[in-house]
Amino acid sequence: MKKPFLSKKTRRTLIAYSFIAPNFIGFCVFTLVPIVFAFCLAFLKWDGSNPIEFAGLSNFARLADDTFFKAALRNTILYCLGTVPLTMIASLALAVLLNQKVVGRGIFRTLSFFPYVASLVAVTAVWKMLFHPTKGPINSILFNTFHVAQENLPKWFTGALVLVSMILFSVWKYMGYYMVIYLAGLQGIPSELYEAAALDGAGTWNKFRYITWPQLSATTFFVVVMLTINCFKIYDIAVMLAGAGGGSDLTESATVLVYYIYQKAFISWDLGYSSAVAMVLFVLVLGVTIIQFYGQSKKDKA
Amino acid sequence: MKKRIVSVLMCALMAVSLLAGCGQKDGGSDSGSGSKGNVTLKWAIWDESTTQYWGDIKKAYEAAHNGVTIEMVDLGSTDYMTVLATELSGSGSDFDVVTIKDVPGYATLVQKNAIIALDDYIKKDKVDLAKFSGATDQVLVDGKLYELPFRNDFWVIFYNKDIFDRAGVAYPTNDMTWDEYDALARKVTNTTFGKQVYGTHYHTWRSTVQLCAMLDGKHTILDGNYDFVKPIYQMVLNQEKDGVCRKYADLKTEGLHYSAAFSGGDVAMMNQGSWFISTLITNIKKGEYDSKLCGNWGLCKYPHAAGVEAGSTLGTITGLSVTSASKNKDAAWDFVNWVSGAEGAAVMASSGNFPACMTADVKKAITSIEGFPTDQQSKDALDVSNLYLEVPYGNHVSEINSVLDSYHGSIMTGEMTIDEGVKAMNTEVAKILGK
Repeated sequence: MKKPFLSKKTRRTLIAYSFIAPNFIGFCVFTLVPIVFAFCLAFLKWDGSNPIEFAGLSNFARLADDTFFKAALRNTILYCLGTVPLTMIASLALAVLLNQKVVGRGIFRTLSFFPYVASLVAVTAVWKMLFHPTKGPINSILFNTFHVAQENLPKWFTGALVLVSMILFSVWKYMGYYMVIYLAGLQGIPSELYEAAALDGAGTWNKFRYITWPQLSATTFFVVVMLTINCFKIYDIAVMLAGAGGGSDLTESATVLVYYIYQKAFISWDLGYSSAVAMVLFVLVLGVTIIQFYGQSKKDKA
Repeated sequence: MKKRIVSVLMCALMAVSLLAGCGQKDGGSDSGSGSKGNVTLKWAIWDESTTQYWGDIKKAYEAAHNGVTIEMVDLGSTDYMTVLATELSGSGSDFDVVTIKDVPGYATLVQKNAIIALDDYIKKDKVDLAKFSGATDQVLVDGKLYELPFRNDFWVIFYNKDIFDRAGVAYPTNDMTWDEYDALARKVTNTTFGKQVYGTHYHTWRSTVQLCAMLDGKHTILDGNYDFVKPIYQMVLNQEKDGVCRKYADLKTEGLHYSAAFSGGDVAMMNQGSWFISTLITNIKKGEYDSKLCGNWGLCKYPHAAGVEAGSTLGTITGLSVTSASKNKDAAWDFVNWVSGAEGAAVMASSGNFPACMTADVKKAITSIEGFPTDQQSKDALDVSNLYLEVPYGNHVSEINSVLDSYHGSIMTGEMTIDEGVKAMNTEVAKILGK
């Protein structure tokens, strides 16, 4: 028998690569190369057409004196600080409740999952009607039942309240999804643990505190990481809830990082500066995730 | 085993050839470079299905020019200039003629070198820019002109005659100051529940409020100091408070379109661009708007600052440019020149739109369209004495526009007081201008 052209091992590797290739080539062309390019752009000055100029760190220096960037950064962080814990608590509570053997729990599970499936554009339209400053049912309840004076009725989508509206909306929209993840986690906890605890006389709270919560720590980690990353990426909710019609020009109190990146890149065509803002977002997300990983691995060792 | 390797290699080869195929787009596709044969001009437009004149222009031009085909590409109106700028980035574009919707977008394209200066062509074909009554002077970039306008809209006051008749108040006139306008709006306002009438209406655009302050001829939005806009904001916010107009925050939340506000029959006067004339006429004719509610409408000239002559108003131009990437620049220029000239103007006027090159005949054609108000005052309202572009060309005009838009929202929603908002405009624009 003739010796094969390639050794068996090389052949196996090549074949394996050939299976990854279609996906990986696509990833390279459409994701990896643009990401690397975006990194470089942060140190360049480019408008998409004229020759690229080297800018050094000047893009980053400009950030310090940019009112809208600082507003966007502050809003994004505040939004995350509000949304992440609230969504986590809400989805965990829902999951624990709907893990009980209650009548119609299938229906309730579906109902809580519904906001996640519903189209964002449609549900923001509904929310805007509910929270309409003069004609909305929420404000009319505040007015009729709680006798809030007409001039004190909250304008839900402006000023400081816009972040509150955004947070409330996100919690409502995404808690169903994370509830499903928590439900899966709850199913994985062996029932013997609860039986043993019951024998030792543990109440509901102690069962939750000493069995459910520690057993769910891996799930919680996953949920928090996913939530954090998704929250930093917020764009659509801000534009739909706080933008005027065409979604352009969010005010200082509503602007967020991703919106600002878009605005600088495709309205002002300042691609270098826009990439610098994107780098800040990247470092922020990376930093938070690393901290969480670190915390989790420490907990695992303990 | 060998077979498998062959098939893997084949797959790889196919993938490579596919990728290579993508790069081979230039070449053969363009047939008419330079030669006098058949030329196809690719033209960027928006909202083809709802705007009649695109098709009219194409038909009229093709009829008058043998061998030229106009291919329209609809980029949608919402973010037209953003999409266009993206299309013209890099070297992959095959547009020959692009429509310019606004000045910030125009500035972007000029800075990107995506469109060419037309001065040589203008000199060669002896185009008289005087026919555009000064509009082209406001979009010069370092003394060069990169677009020719074919459509010129200006702001007027639309009013609902029925509401004034019912209230027994005289119609607005062609010579009002803003104070008189405010007083008149308050006179016809009715805040009784169920019989509500709003004296006036301001759409959520910045132009409906802030730009009214630019009509004294002394200020533009590129100034860098915006203290002069305070009185007009004060007037509008007071009107909001007293129920004379709908609240900005409400309008923004519900996304009410100005046409719906006016055709609903509870708005007495509304400032809006002349483009709304043809919309009103068409939709009342088609029965889309209830003619009982808004069929009896009239026009009057824009109010003016005290001590300034009547007839000064804001305007916007819609222009055409030739792209730098075009392989048929001469043919493209011919199209641009034709559309912006007398022939194009006639086509525009036939559907009730205002061409940039305005003549007495064109005006007569528009005012004699069925559905246009028949009173003399409405016809006279179309005479403009001074036209100030909403946004003249200037360095950084696009960034300045974004900043002003954002703070307009802050002031109108009450996030900031007028003083705070204007101060923020001053500081932020100074930063941009100081660059």
